[in-house]
Amino acid sequence: MKQFEPVIVAFCCHYCAYTAADMAGSKRLSYPANVNIVRVPCSGKVDAIHLMKAFEKGADGVYVAGCLEGDCHFKNGNTKVARRVAYVKKLLDEIGIGGERLEMFYMSAGMGERFARVATEMTKKIRKLGPNPTKAMSTGNQGEAVA
Amino acid sequence: MMNDQATMPSHNKILVVGGGIGGIRAAMDLAESGRNVVLIDKSVSIGGLITQLDRTFPTNDCDLCTLSPRLSEGGRQEHIDLLTMTEVKKVSGDVGNFTVTLSQTPRYIDLEKCTACGDCFKVFPECVSFNPGLDHRAPTCMRYPQAIPQAYAIDMHKCQDVKALENVCKAGAILPQQTSKEIELEVGAVILCPGADVFDPSGLDHFEYGKNPDVVTSLEYERILSASGPTQGELVRPSDGKKPEKIAWIQCVGSRGLQKGAASYCSSACCMFALKEAIVTKERFQDSIETTIFYMDMRTFGKEYEQYRERAENEFHVNLVRSRPHSIVGDEATGGLDITFAPDDGSPSITETFDMAVLSTGFKVSESVRKMAGTMGIELNAHDFAKTDEFSPVATSVPGIYVCGLFEGPKDIPETMVQASAAACLAAKATQPAVHIDEDTLVNLPERDVSSEEPRIGIFICDCGLNIGGVVDTQNLAEFGKTLPQVAVSQVVGHGCSRSSMDIIHKTIVDEKLNRVVIGGCSPRTHETKFQDLLQRAGLNKYLVEIANIRDQDTWVHADDPEAAKQKARHLIRMATSSVKNAHPLIEHSLPMHKEILVVGGGVSGMTTALSLADQGFKVFLAEKAPQLGGLAGRIKKTIEGRDVPVFMEALTQKTLQHPGIEVIFNAIIVDHTGMPGMFKTGLQIAPQMYYRQIEHGVTILATGALQNRPETFLLGENPAVMTQLDMDTLLEEDLDRIKAMRTVAMIQCVGSRCPENQNCSRICCQSAVKNALRLLDINPDMRIFVLYRDMRTYGFTEDYYLEARKRGVIFVRYEKDAPPQVRPEKDGIEVTFVDPILGQSLALSADCLCLSTGLVADDEASEDLAMIFRLQRTGEGFFLEDHVKLRPLDLSTPGFFVAGTAHSPKNIKECIADAQAAAGRAQTLLAKNSIELGAAVARVDSNKCAACLVCVRACPFDIPFINADGYSEIDPAKCHGCGVCAAECPAKAIQLMQFEDDQILAKLDGLLERMVA
Amino acid sequence: MITAERKPLEEIIDSVKPFQRILLVGCNECVTVCAAGGRKEVGILASALQMNFMKAGQTIDIKELTLERQCDPEYVEELSTHMDQVDAVLSMACGCGVQEIARRYKDKPVLPAVNTKFMGASERQGVWAERCQGCGDCLLGLTGGICPIARCSKRLLNGPCGGSTNGKCEISPEVDCVWQLIWDRLKALGMEDRYEDIMPAKNWQTGRGGGPRKIIREDLAE
Repeated sequence: MKQFEPVIVAFCCHYCAYTAADMAGSKRLSYPANVNIVRVPCSGKVDAIHLMKAFEKGADGVYVAGCLEGDCHFKNGNTKVARRVAYVKKLLDEIGIGGERLEMFYMSAGMGERFARVATEMTKKIRKLGPNPTKAMSTGNQGEAVA
Repeated sequence: MMNDQATMPSHNKILVVGGGIGGIRAAMDLAESGRNVVLIDKSVSIGGLITQLDRTFPTNDCDLCTLSPRLSEGGRQEHIDLLTMTEVKKVSGDVGNFTVTLSQTPRYIDLEKCTACGDCFKVFPECVSFNPGLDHRAPTCMRYPQAIPQAYAIDMHKCQDVKALENVCKAGAILPQQTSKEIELEVGAVILCPGADVFDPSGLDHFEYGKNPDVVTSLEYERILSASGPTQGELVRPSDGKKPEKIAWIQCVGSRGLQKGAASYCSSACCMFALKEAIVTKERFQDSIETTIFYMDMRTFGKEYEQYRERAENEFHVNLVRSRPHSIVGDEATGGLDITFAPDDGSPSITETFDMAVLSTGFKVSESVRKMAGTMGIELNAHDFAKTDEFSPVATSVPGIYVCGLFEGPKDIPETMVQASAAACLAAKATQPAVHIDEDTLVNLPERDVSSEEPRIGIFICDCGLNIGGVVDTQNLAEFGKTLPQVAVSQVVGHGCSRSSMDIIHKTIVDEKLNRVVIGGCSPRTHETKFQDLLQRAGLNKYLVEIANIRDQDTWVHADDPEAAKQKARHLIRMATSSVKNAHPLIEHSLPMHKEILVVGGGVSGMTTALSLADQGFKVFLAEKAPQLGGLAGRIKKTIEGRDVPVFMEALTQKTLQHPGIEVIFNAIIVDHTGMPGMFKTGLQIAPQMYYRQIEHGVTILATGALQNRPETFLLGENPAVMTQLDMDTLLEEDLDRIKAMRTVAMIQCVGSRCPENQNCSRICCQSAVKNALRLLDINPDMRIFVLYRDMRTYGFTEDYYLEARKRGVIFVRYEKDAPPQVRPEKDGIEVTFVDPILGQSLALSADCLCLSTGLVADDEASEDLAMIFRLQRTGEGFFLEDHVKLRPLDLSTPGFFVAGTAHSPKNIKECIADAQAAAGRAQTLLAKNSIELGAAVARVDSNKCAACLVCVRACPFDIPFINADGYSEIDPAKCHGCGVCAAECPAKAIQLMQFEDDQILAKLDGLLERMVA
Repeated sequence: MITAERKPLEEIIDSVKPFQRILLVGCNECVTVCAAGGRKEVGILASALQMNFMKAGQTIDIKELTLERQCDPEYVEELSTHMDQVDAVLSMACGCGVQEIARRYKDKPVLPAVNTKFMGASERQGVWAERCQGCGDCLLGLTGGICPIARCSKRLLNGPCGGSTNGKCEISPEVDCVWQLIWDRLKALGMEDRYEDIMPAKNWQTGRGGGPRKIIREDLAE
């Protein structure tokens, strides 16, 4: 059987993690292509809803990557989102998706190697966990928000 | 920017000679303050010496990566004409009205057409030139891979088949007919920053350089460390490719007069350079590599450099050996290098075997620069560097011609940056009074209203040479783009950032009536501004573009798996396309700029910076807490070169007081501060009535100085025979009889510096001691002077005075940190006991006077208050912390704030003046604008949804949101920093962060996760 | 403000299982402020439910809507256009909102998604504490502005009891003894003598003891 290739969403803050990803690029540090980056100005911008929706839409793993502690460009966005990540992990556990599919990482702009390492580790871990359980059966009927 | 001809009108044009880091800084400062610049460089691309550096101390960053992307940013390029492979032939005329003749060597390449695809190089490697630091060939090279200009150069002499070469270039950029040409320019001022060469150690037989490949210079070692270097970042021994286990650095090669042909001065930067190379070696490779630095005096005198040395020794275990090796001899049997040296404790010579040796070669002025100076009539000093005055640090002997960087004297990057900004400030002044230009000089099409249109998306895929095109099939990717909903155009554009591609995108937007644009290219971090500008020119709101980073985050990292890279590129394009349809036009806010400046502190730095700005027509408020001007410099009598400080200070003070553009506010204490760059409000309380006054200003410059250190040690303050160097400076002018009566004077260095209470080196005390010793001998030639020191840090040309002092009989004795001299009061003097390291014996001497080199310490109390009021950061010692140690040494991290002089770190008067002029130059880059542009990526509240729950008010890191009188949250777009924390926390989902709205983020997820799309 | 917290997901999932089409309704008042049932919580719950059913290969149709206030008939009326397309309503409002929807839409089951807890105040971001029990006969004027009915575990009117130790209540070291707080406050106000007055037995008729309550403002009521 072909190896399961998970789809992973990485919410990366512009100042640190996204820059670290670019740095990994300029150093040509290869990491699994499963990781797809969504750029946000600050990791603190990542809403619990974004994390939930990513899984609902079918992501197999999600992580938020912000600046190192104390280094947030906006003082403490990274610690704020870390609390949200912990909260959503519990929710995911409650509905049987599994909180371990969601993680929080910290890195500085210069840490290209760390970005590549985190991406590799996360991919390995999600590969082991298998596909997002919502995808196990048929596709879901999507609702819509009207307000 | 890459014009072959200089076409701008010549009124306020300034010629900058040399495109190293100093030249780039000067050109950028001038361009930002609205001046037109011609920047020339003799190489094929700019960057200078720094392109050859792997990293720079003390941040161990790549500075070029940080600096060079900015050069092409926004409107700056409109003011800079870059001429490479160009040199100055002749300069005539006077300040404000020079005629310059330039000569340009042919590149045989049309810069407009060359996309740096590398095809010519692949077929004809022998006839294509490249810059070693920015070599396009190395697959892993270049943390910032954009050479400027991004183009090759052809060496026609080496080309056998010109026709074939021409044919290989698909862009048709090869111009075999190009010839050398002369360009004549009218300029108002000239800034020279041609840099320096490094000493060539080939002539030194005893180090076997050139004979043994394992003996390299520090710059060559840098290339070995560099990812873009010949070994692609692998540390291997040149002779046999083995990993070295033991590396030695030998300092002062070509400096401090030690070898044949060496200069007598100290090259200032090599000690830190060697420490950095040793640390990077340990950090990057393996900690087990033994690194040893052989040095004479460890000259880590810069801001917090002493702590860097401590770390090298204690954390990285770099061996520091105080000794000058006698020789390096290759051992043919082992392949090692035998280094013989005499330890400094007087014990017999030791021979140790190393695998590699690095020679820390110093700087020297190149022959071509010396010649150029000759044609300009610039006076040089004894060492062939441009002669400058201590009170006018960046002016050459020719009015209107300024100098910065290594050509002014050996120095490190931050000082080069300071001098570059100072030279830019003076050059701007010499040409014309500040011309306040509108930043919007570009011709834009009027913005089209797209609000009622259905999205018509244009996708433009860059191949970026082989960077993208070499990994994924860009044509195929563009075809894929066409299948996505609402996409009207999807095409490949080569180098999207090249001028010709930008023109194509521009035309396509207009012709196809596109209203959304996706660029599949490199990082939005570096190129978003560029494409936003393009949209604006094409009549679209700049927020209607989305960049898919298919280079840095795809083809560069997945080159090993083209299929995965292809899929990911599709994902990224689909994410961007899906998201951009939800983008809508945003309006940027702008506010009028206050052109007034608040300078805090009326010492030499404060007054100089105030005058530099006021002379260009700006209104300056100079707040001084004392009832008079002068500061610490007001107490100094003589400089090391013998200049009379009081005369200079009196003139400066009078000029400041009488200048109509400067309002001096004495007895002023800063009490409150609000606002943002361009519109600050600062409250002052003014003694003795303590009345309150508020000042509105656009920029703040802190020149609050430092304090003379007076630690209660060595009987200072207890015994009249003990004094500081500053006291001695006064005594030398005021009590000659007492000086004449002294028979023996002892000096102790590093008192209250480089110790647990104050880890810093105070930088200026070694030169102060040498200065005072020489002056003492001038008055009383029979005097015996002993200087007890740890490292003599007479950097740069002050080394000459150190040498002179030794020649004239001053005795310098080193002491160890753990065994400081002991002092005891005697009748009519002081008994000083110290250990002579060579004799290994304790010696005692009776001195009539003990002079302590106590240096400077931060005015901790004052800087703490100011840091609190202005919200600034400080170092552990209480000096203001700059934004970037190397590249922005005077910019504070809070925008709109600059620091000058000893409030930054200890420095001498000459350095303070350069700082002050530079801070004025930096301030002008902000003040040149007529309005403050605020980004549009700010949080916006939907008042209908707001529940006034206060969550945003509490969550905002900057305290911006408040619940207004109408009962809902209000966020001032002028103050919002755009982090989006409030939007993420709002329980009513009433807040959206513009440019990163929820539907844009969710659309990205939709684009990625096929289930929704299917 | 009325404070509430979301029910355990398992309970909510159980309650909606019989239904295929759900209208999930939030409220933009108290439950938004206490982060239990505002627009954001609605989004998170909808997503969680969706995933839960998708995981089992089932489908559920969830419509999200947040009303300005669920305890006023005019706002609740806004739901009417959606009612024929749903099988049940899941309300994230307090009990008042749930009941108002039930009253208006007689043929639709209304399910609560939150537990309404108390009338409270926010001590700091993310922390809410009980402050009032709606006894209908406010005596805060006598107790230094601190309510012993809501905040004393025993609702003592003449406290503290013997269980007060070092200012904490015997039920938990996390709970302040409200009588200690009242004493400290009275002392700070220089009103210690107030404390000496014995409070007579309270008339509980004004509270729940008198049965369901209603307020009629004659000048306003039509």
